[in-house]
Amino acid sequence: MLNNQLILFLSQIFNGLKIGSVYSLVALGYTMVYGIIRLINFAHGDFIMVGSYVLMLITPMLIASGVPAWVAVIPAIIVCVIVGVVVEKAAYKPVRKKGNSMTALITAIAMSLLLENGAQAVFGADYKTIPNILNLPAIKFGALRITGDTLLSIVLGIIIMIGLQLFIKYTRNGKAMRAVAEDKEAATLMGINVDSTITLTFAIGAALAGVASLMYCAAYPQVSPMMGAMLGLKAFVAAVLGGIGSIPGAMIGGIAIGIIESLTTAYIGTITGGIITSAFSDAIVFGILIIVLLVKPTGLMGKNLGEKV
Amino acid sequence: MTAKFAVKLGTLGTAFAMLVGMGACSGGSMSDSSNSSSDTYVIGSITTISGAAAAYGEAELKGFNLAISEINKAGGVNGKKLSLQNLDDKGDATEASNAFNRLSDNSSVIAVAGPTISSTTAAITPLADSAKLATIAPAATSDSIETGNYVFRACFKDSYQGEVAAKFAAENLKVKKVAVLYGTGDAYSSGTAQAFIKTAKAEGLDVVATENSSSADATEYSSQLQKIQASGAEFLYAPYYYSTAGPYIIPQARSLGFTGVIMGPDGYDGLQTSENPSAFNDVYYTTHYSPDDTSNSKVAAFIESYKKANNNNDPNTFAALGYDTIYMIKDALEKAGKDASRESVRDEIAKLNFSGVTGSFTLDKTGSPKKSVIVLKEEDGTPKYLTTVKA
Repeated sequence: MLNNQLILFLSQIFNGLKIGSVYSLVALGYTMVYGIIRLINFAHGDFIMVGSYVLMLITPMLIASGVPAWVAVIPAIIVCVIVGVVVEKAAYKPVRKKGNSMTALITAIAMSLLLENGAQAVFGADYKTIPNILNLPAIKFGALRITGDTLLSIVLGIIIMIGLQLFIKYTRNGKAMRAVAEDKEAATLMGINVDSTITLTFAIGAALAGVASLMYCAAYPQVSPMMGAMLGLKAFVAAVLGGIGSIPGAMIGGIAIGIIESLTTAYIGTITGGIITSAFSDAIVFGILIIVLLVKPTGLMGKNLGEKV
Repeated sequence: MTAKFAVKLGTLGTAFAMLVGMGACSGGSMSDSSNSSSDTYVIGSITTISGAAAAYGEAELKGFNLAISEINKAGGVNGKKLSLQNLDDKGDATEASNAFNRLSDNSSVIAVAGPTISSTTAAITPLADSAKLATIAPAATSDSIETGNYVFRACFKDSYQGEVAAKFAAENLKVKKVAVLYGTGDAYSSGTAQAFIKTAKAEGLDVVATENSSSADATEYSSQLQKIQASGAEFLYAPYYYSTAGPYIIPQARSLGFTGVIMGPDGYDGLQTSENPSAFNDVYYTTHYSPDDTSNSKVAAFIESYKKANNNNDPNTFAALGYDTIYMIKDALEKAGKDASRESVRDEIAKLNFSGVTGSFTLDKTGSPKKSVIVLKEEDGTPKYLTTVKA
């Protein structure tokens, strides 16, 4: 028989998995783009916000016409891809030609603000709720329960992780991406269209944001223009913790951040005798990141040199 | 409810305020001479009728206008009519200060109703004290704005809601073990929670768990709720806004198997329950006014008269508080008599024994009412009037 303390501890692990699986999906998008063009796409969290608004608009129509609500993920992915490609073509590409990596980073922050304020202008600053998208049953092990959404997020994350690895290793486009990541000029000389390869990278990254918006909205059914900001930041931390550029690293980093967050929230008060309360959990998460990076600067799964992605 | 807006507007409004503020000053020819005749009392008002909190200010203004037209129809006060001079503060502290100075420079303004939100009220508080012009804020609930000099309010303050919730848990629900969850980074959330804890202990309740989040708009509360569930609490006080309690705290608590009562403050006004109405059963919150409150005979008359004046729309809490604010000023004017001055009106407001649609009350020496609080209970997704907790 499990005693109560153990059950509580395992439940906290499952809580961590719930948010961690969402971080993983978001972190995959960060790491994908970074691995190819060395750009931290700070607007990635806001792509998820865009996808979430699409879900909010489309889901009620689907439910009314009897179509399963999760189908809304298809228009969400399409809109995210369009936004991602437009952002790349209109903002990142001209800057990439003229500036350096710092100008690209600032442009990414500008795009993030543009999307946030744009959404606020269109939809207003108010919070809006999203109907139940997935009605998956929870799985119970005695007193323990893990929601279907959490399991689906993890499974989706693993499928995407494996799919991306296979795509990058074995397809022509994937090989082109690795070549661009390795050396842009040499790739051009070999007849690879660098611009369209980078656009494809953004399209895939944005499509991942569309999938992440579905899983995020299933777990936290509310949208607001600023929702992508903190989510994006945490997922970015997850990607760095896992080793940015590493696809399995994003997965592991996301889950690790989720579990650390959940356990510190639950136990920090007891451990420190109430001196440090659970309100500090964010500070502790970022503190752990700093420690990991001091010990292993490339992150958990990052390689020191050579092959990227 | 207003603390969050203060934060939002603080960031949004600064640049905007600089532009509009300059415009307001340069165009400063006063149009008061026409209505400053000796047979009229001018009540100044400062409301937020544009910007993010506009819905609150618009409702208050409707309440003001309704009360003034009723009073004038009934013959006015001391043989004089009332007139309203309203200025928009756009939810911005600088705008509110400019508006207040314009009103206080107009010698025919006898008292002020407003501003709408806590941050703008805090901005005009020192101005009101130095101009010696009495001001009644209808709905600014923050604990920090009280001075006890020239600024009063018609609503109860944040900490008072926490006290009432603790009393309600002990006396009406008769629970023994209570838990608290609050956001430490939010003055509204932590202020009400601290007041709840203090009163709960005084009432002999066992506070079995005190959990917190860093902000009042986090999305994941399962870890904290799991500990609350494990502590055996029968009652959870979670002072958050509707935007956090509705989609996150309440459904997460229910999905972890917490079946006890969940209670919140007036920030729960606006809970969206349509997705899963049954999760919101046994959710209670304290508020200022309910249209279903049959224990107060003034409510039905107010609703009828408001609907007649506003295309059959129902009045909300802010309209009710605005309506009471004007009647508070009217009562004070009446007591001050024919030669009412700004100072005598202030003294009479401080001594008021007022009875209105949001309850009957006197003002304490800090200018806040000790008034009855309405408790609403969610039933299958709609808030129903449950009881009035007397002061």
